[in-house]
Amino acid sequence: MPRADSGPSPSRTVVVTGLGAVSALGWNVASFWEGLRSGRTAIGPFDRFDHSGHRTHVAAQVDLAAGPGRPRGKPPRLSLADRFAVAAAREAVARAGLDLGACGGRTGVYFGSSTGGMIESEAYFAAFLEAAAGRGRRPAVGVLASQQYNSPGDAVARDLGIGGPVQTISAACASGAMAIGDAVRAIRRGEADAAIAGGSDSLCRLTYAGFNALRAVDERPCRPFREARAGLSLGEGAATVLLEPLDRALARGARPLVVAAGEAATCDAYHMTSPHPEGIGAAEAIREALADARLDPAEIDFVNAHGTGTPLNDLAECKALYAVFGDRAGDLPVTSTKSLVGHLLGSAGALEAVGTILCLLAGEVHPMPDGGAPDPAIRLRLVLGRPLSLPRARQALSTSLGFGGANAALVFTRYRDEGHVL
Amino acid sequence: MSKTPALRSRIKHLLVDALHLEGLSPSDIADDAPLFGEGLGLDSVDALELVVALEKEFKVPIQSHEVGKEAFASVSALAAFIEGRLDAVGNADATS
Repeated sequence: MPRADSGPSPSRTVVVTGLGAVSALGWNVASFWEGLRSGRTAIGPFDRFDHSGHRTHVAAQVDLAAGPGRPRGKPPRLSLADRFAVAAAREAVARAGLDLGACGGRTGVYFGSSTGGMIESEAYFAAFLEAAAGRGRRPAVGVLASQQYNSPGDAVARDLGIGGPVQTISAACASGAMAIGDAVRAIRRGEADAAIAGGSDSLCRLTYAGFNALRAVDERPCRPFREARAGLSLGEGAATVLLEPLDRALARGARPLVVAAGEAATCDAYHMTSPHPEGIGAAEAIREALADARLDPAEIDFVNAHGTGTPLNDLAECKALYAVFGDRAGDLPVTSTKSLVGHLLGSAGALEAVGTILCLLAGEVHPMPDGGAPDPAIRLRLVLGRPLSLPRARQALSTSLGFGGANAALVFTRYRDEGHVL
Repeated sequence: MSKTPALRSRIKHLLVDALHLEGLSPSDIADDAPLFGEGLGLDSVDALELVVALEKEFKVPIQSHEVGKEAFASVSALAAFIEGRLDAVGNADATS
């Protein structure tokens, strides 16, 4: 074990001391967890933009009226993704009880996003064309500053006054998990004394149209690992974990929630959108994350799968799990958070990391909605309908497998033997 | 007779409209309140937006070096600046 005053070391233990979540289930971790336990999906009809021309008409939309409003009398500047990110970051910092001022420039922000302020840019150009045609006033240009993928992470840094490394990963659906992995490595290397890691994305026309064009969207709420599954459902929101070195967390009297024990990222180097059919890159990411956590596959108690509900992903992911866990893959409880909150793209890995951590803290695995026969080609122990009690669960795996063959795996372990806190 | 009160009111409407200051009405803006930083809390992106809107509204070109702290300090300062420009280009009709 490192001494309390020891410098950075590759074996430096990194713990999670705070969590934040904004999703279609609500604007905080408590509502997220309550919704996950219920097994009732938040995917359904939505009205964020006109989707009448598309084949599908469901998504998991955040209730904007339930969140903090925009500041009155200020020019619109933050995108929805920025606002989700700031809310989730504030929640994690508040839970951790961390005085960011005391960390000086030693706190970092490591964020993932896939589309940044895309929906605001879409609205801008639509209004711009209208105004150019003499209909309505020219839209405010300032909101275009939030177009960039790094905008949510930057918004978090500005809001909380964080002056350390602030960086954004955009690796499709693995972004959020990779951002957490990067933060863990940065803390181990001593580049930061604390990190807010996570991701944020909002629904937008681009991704809704794009995934529909790819025929990758289910007309019904997504049904991961089920025989009749017909694609993913899009969602939106943000999630954050506050990471600190164990020694520093204990020294300031914080109570660690879990250990961020292992992380890894790989690439299939195979296809623009399809996963490798045998899931080789995914399997390698899981193996490396387990090795990073110094765990054997046999020590993993449950899996929060990428589980999008597309025919290709779920099958490839099942093969990856069998490649790593052997026949035990069939006994390992598997759930998919996406079945309840949709696919948050660049934020998905972060929200699912928070979901995984909550399951470890509660000693139970949240369910997917019941209904629909499992795919006989996918022999996994799916958690369906109601939470699966696993009071002795100590180690959990969360996988994120994105377009471009981007894979990330995170391993979280319970901190010591404290009782369940949820 | 000074055109300034009408000009100030016009600039306030322009601020609210061009900068999309939601929830704020022109009469909420004090003549001498700072526009940037304190007061209205505008930033450099808003300055760009404001210059474009002023140029369009008053038909006067505004150079980057003129977008200084003095001319853009408040609605009053901006009105004086615009009035000076209008006089210079002999385009007094634009304020009518």
